[in-house]
Amino acid sequence: MSSTGPSAFDAVSLSIMWDRMVAIADEIVSTLVRTSFSTIVRDSYDLSVVILDTKGRLMAQGTYAVPVFIGTAPRTLRYMLEKFPPETLRPGDIIATNDPWIGTGHMFDISMMRPIFKGDRLVGYTMSITHLPDIGGLGFGAAAREIYHEGLRLPICRFAKDGVMDPFLEELIRTNVRVPEQTIGDLVANIACNEVGGPMVTAFMEEYGLESLEPLSDAIGAHSERAMRAKLEEIADGRYENHIQIEGTDGPIPMACSVEIKGGEAVIDFAGTGGCVPRGINVPFCYTNAMSLYAMKCLTIPALPNNSGAVTPITVSAPKGCLLNAQPPFPTGGRHAIGHFVPGLIFGALAEAAPDKIQADCGMMDLMTVQGTHRDGRGISTIYFASGGFGALQGGDGGDCVPGPSNMAVVPVEVWETITGTTIEKKAIVPDSGGPGAWRGGAGQEVVIRNDTGHPMTIFCMANRTEFPPLGYLGGKPGARRVHRLNGAEVDAKGSYVLAPGDRIEMVEAGGGGIGEPRDRDPAMIERDLALGRVTPEGAARDYGYRR
Amino acid sequence: MSDQRYRIGVDIGGTFTDFALFDEAAAEIAIHKQLTTPDDPSRAVLEGVSAMLRDNGVAIGDVASLAHGTTLVTNALIERKGAVTGMLVTRNFLDVPDMAREQRYDLFDLRLSFPEPLVPRDRRREITERVEFDGNVAEALDLQSAEAAVRDLVETSGIQALAICLLHAYANPAHEQAIEAMVREKFPDLHVSTSADVHAGLGEWERWTTASMNAYTQPLFDRYLSRIEEGLAELGFAGTLYIMTSSGGMLLPETARRYPVRMLESGPAAGVLMSAFHGRALDLDNVLSFDLGGTTAKGALVRGGEPLKTDQMEVARVHDFKRGSGLPARVPSVDMIEIGAGGGSIAWIDERGLLKVGPKSAGADPGPACYGQGGEKASLTDANLMLGFLDPAFFLGGAMSLDKPAAERAITQSVAEPLGLSAMRAAWGIHDIANEDVARAFRIHASERGFDYRQATMIAFGGSGPLQAMAIAAKLNIPRVIFPIGAGVMSAMGLLASPLSFEQARTRRTFIEDIDAAGFEEILVPLIEIAKRPLHAAGLDDAEIDTRIRLDMRYFGQGHEIEVTVPGIGLAQAFANLPAFFAEKYTGLFGVAPLDEPLEIVTWKAEVEGPAPPLRAGYSVTGAPGASPGAGAGALKGSRTCYFGGEATETPVYDRYGLVAGTVIQGPALIEERESTCVITPGHRATVDDALNIVAALEVSS
Repeated sequence: MSSTGPSAFDAVSLSIMWDRMVAIADEIVSTLVRTSFSTIVRDSYDLSVVILDTKGRLMAQGTYAVPVFIGTAPRTLRYMLEKFPPETLRPGDIIATNDPWIGTGHMFDISMMRPIFKGDRLVGYTMSITHLPDIGGLGFGAAAREIYHEGLRLPICRFAKDGVMDPFLEELIRTNVRVPEQTIGDLVANIACNEVGGPMVTAFMEEYGLESLEPLSDAIGAHSERAMRAKLEEIADGRYENHIQIEGTDGPIPMACSVEIKGGEAVIDFAGTGGCVPRGINVPFCYTNAMSLYAMKCLTIPALPNNSGAVTPITVSAPKGCLLNAQPPFPTGGRHAIGHFVPGLIFGALAEAAPDKIQADCGMMDLMTVQGTHRDGRGISTIYFASGGFGALQGGDGGDCVPGPSNMAVVPVEVWETITGTTIEKKAIVPDSGGPGAWRGGAGQEVVIRNDTGHPMTIFCMANRTEFPPLGYLGGKPGARRVHRLNGAEVDAKGSYVLAPGDRIEMVEAGGGGIGEPRDRDPAMIERDLALGRVTPEGAARDYGYRR
Repeated sequence: MSDQRYRIGVDIGGTFTDFALFDEAAAEIAIHKQLTTPDDPSRAVLEGVSAMLRDNGVAIGDVASLAHGTTLVTNALIERKGAVTGMLVTRNFLDVPDMAREQRYDLFDLRLSFPEPLVPRDRRREITERVEFDGNVAEALDLQSAEAAVRDLVETSGIQALAICLLHAYANPAHEQAIEAMVREKFPDLHVSTSADVHAGLGEWERWTTASMNAYTQPLFDRYLSRIEEGLAELGFAGTLYIMTSSGGMLLPETARRYPVRMLESGPAAGVLMSAFHGRALDLDNVLSFDLGGTTAKGALVRGGEPLKTDQMEVARVHDFKRGSGLPARVPSVDMIEIGAGGGSIAWIDERGLLKVGPKSAGADPGPACYGQGGEKASLTDANLMLGFLDPAFFLGGAMSLDKPAAERAITQSVAEPLGLSAMRAAWGIHDIANEDVARAFRIHASERGFDYRQATMIAFGGSGPLQAMAIAAKLNIPRVIFPIGAGVMSAMGLLASPLSFEQARTRRTFIEDIDAAGFEEILVPLIEIAKRPLHAAGLDDAEIDTRIRLDMRYFGQGHEIEVTVPGIGLAQAFANLPAFFAEKYTGLFGVAPLDEPLEIVTWKAEVEGPAPPLRAGYSVTGAPGASPGAGAGALKGSRTCYFGGEATETPVYDRYGLVAGTVIQGPALIEERESTCVITPGHRATVDDALNIVAALEVSS
């Protein structure tokens, strides 16, 4: 075989074998999704599947991974192998944990690893990670004041032997969660998908005559690293900073980052970020790291498959004890509420250095938990999602009502009304809400929900962007801020309220930030915005100086 | 009927319109091909019918039926060539088509494109009315303002078609129907679709989009059918015209006109149906139907002789065939995957510095470099030519010659040199990577559906399907590949294998503890009656109609449903056994014990089917160009140098039409027919069966 790259594989065989590894991870994902019990796995794809080599390097990750799972698995595996060294592992072992600091930042995520044996030789590992429907404690949210409130914390353990779940652990979990059938069902799906994954990897090795995965892993890593370095070299060397404020539960929180680009490497640090708070929004470093790597991937090579080589040129750090490197016993259940600001923080730092790559701030998602009683007396406990506008990019408007950086599908009006018995009076795009710019931020939306259940209904909100709107960059203006109103009066969007029958909650979602000076916007695009109701004639005059 | 012994199948493809003429009495199929006429596809249909009948000495009066498949509706959506369409929606929900799913289909690519709604916002109007989830009318319909809105749309936008889309219309369609009646009376020239009539399912964006697709394509489809009907009448056709749906059933033109959106995958579905037919004839449990054409490949799974179905399609994807980048269509359909790998797929170097193939395609113009029409990029067809799999002088049976030096030049310059590969290695890489892409798509499609492909049989057709099939089968560890006789007109033949059928679904969330057997029947019986209507209209009586009930069910509180097929044991008995049916399906899927939660039925589906068509196994195929039945001695045409990844291998070339039953061919070998070439890979053996299908066996690792 001819050798042209930094490896023993040419551009044909590496393409096929690399993509096959990703395809195997994808096939494991589809087994996991098909057999999972809970909606969060099946519909939201809040999961990840990875394949690692014996050196613990990530070779391939399922394509549909959400950002939180980038780069976490190698660390998790390292901790697991410290406790259960490779020579002690047997075929059929499953090692698991949901420790936020070892896994992915909160206890809802379970990481399950199974060694791959070819004959009696350990050749690698598969790992699956899913968000469980419940893990006990106070339940999903940010209400906890200590990690102990947040449920059952499983230290690294041998969760299954010969593919069979440890009966004591099963009983322990059943005893500690609200929905044992669903939770155990998802755990079984995790065990099963790892079971089918190993044989796929060894069959692949047979097909291509591979004795070990390491040479292929070397090649994947080297190609990825080289591609990533080349892209980072396109950004001028320098040290770039950003300081923002975000809304905490008890007042504003400063967030800061510095990004140093030097010779195809990036060093990201979050010094200057505020300290931890006694609410479940603290972010363990693994999550900060994942969101940072996600941002850099978006800026460089979005299509590059995730693996250890791709992240080698990027170093992330945060001072111990700050909000982005939280330590026990601070609670972390809602770590995404803060962690989702990390990509925008990094984009902002690099706005001048990489103007054609960065994205203005997104309006982000609004999640509202609703608990009450349906018209027919059955209980309701569910979550409503509504998306703000997507941040603009150079050369492209942000999508209207498109979520970022998180990503959940909307619950259709008809489905929502059916499952809750409430009425959505209105769901409409808000004109002039997208941040003005040469490239406009995505518009937000207005949703009005009326409590028609005939019973009191409790809502819990954890919304942001109410005080500090999504920022525009390079001359682009901010998007409209988020507003919550109860029966017409603005209320704190991080509160809990009881809606009497007939009461209305109104959610006005934030627009995305714009990019570039509004006066540079193509008049044809403004005309289009006017025709499609994204901008009013008054808004066009005010924000763009445009008159028909 | 005794006179009318002939049936015709006609399928319009991108390049060719294919015909099959079935003589019921003699059990013979004659085939014919005609260049497609994109400006007016009906022309090729009518010319081809005349030519084929003339060639075979058949009088049109002896033709009992003509079954037609067409991608006209899909093309209109992809090319956005439908009618100027207006839309009426419930007040305060004007923006639903723009807000879509509020989800990104790729998390890392921030520059995603989403499809524009078919009806732009300035051609939508809000209507005062409100229906609740249980069908209760919360606010009365203001019909007068609806009339004013339609008038405004007609006068200011010149709409030709109208989609009426109201919230919860699946639960209570009264408001949609009242507006429809008003429009038919006051605006008789408008084509009207209502959302609950097109798809009576939950989910406003999906239902409204499906209805708007229906409206958008209705005028064009109506005109097209009229041209076919009039043209056939002029020829003296006195039989019945049938139109193929996406789910593989036949409809009369009247029903097809009402629901053009049900014809989205009409031609491709017919191909899958033919794979299912072969699967039944050859007694195969699991079949992978595989069709590879000029720009895309299509795959489908057949279990126990029945194609897997879906009611969730996605049309006109705008971002590299990515799932989520198209418009949703909620219509019953054969569950197909579309893969961006075809003969015209372009080879390129990705950001990792590795070779990739597709999904960008050279299309028909300029086409692959070897077409000599100015294409400079290397495509899959260029690679196959270089590897020796294609004969430059015998492409499309010699109708077109290929420029081999141009292919080599394109591969060398655009791929081989930049990657430091030899041209032959690069050509093999293109071939192999395309196969890997198809294999990957099959693997994921099958594993998402819990379908074990490893013991399945692949049935390959389409222009390039037979060329790639065995290599793909090897990657999937599949033991058998079948190259059916008449593979070049597979969809046209599939049209002859399809019964009259129709499906009607309706969302009506019902706890089974809240109803009894009578209540169960009360919901289902009207649904079955609606489903039967098109079949009754075609002259069938109840005794000839087979009914199948499927229910989407779930436990209370779960976000996803499981489809349960109700066996034909009478509705009352079926109702009594529903929990057991559900539990069985549930345990099979999740591997955990059933729960003690209330069960609910969310969507009710009735599928009805007429008698099986007369096509039976054992027919013979005549009329194929170059056919010389029984001339086995003339089968070996010569040999060519082929490259199967390594050494140059002298490879015998056979004429498919000269092969007789029982012939055994040892690979490597090429078997040429007019539309395609079957590649028998080295080390494997192919046998010609009694029906003249070629059956190749692969050694697989268990």
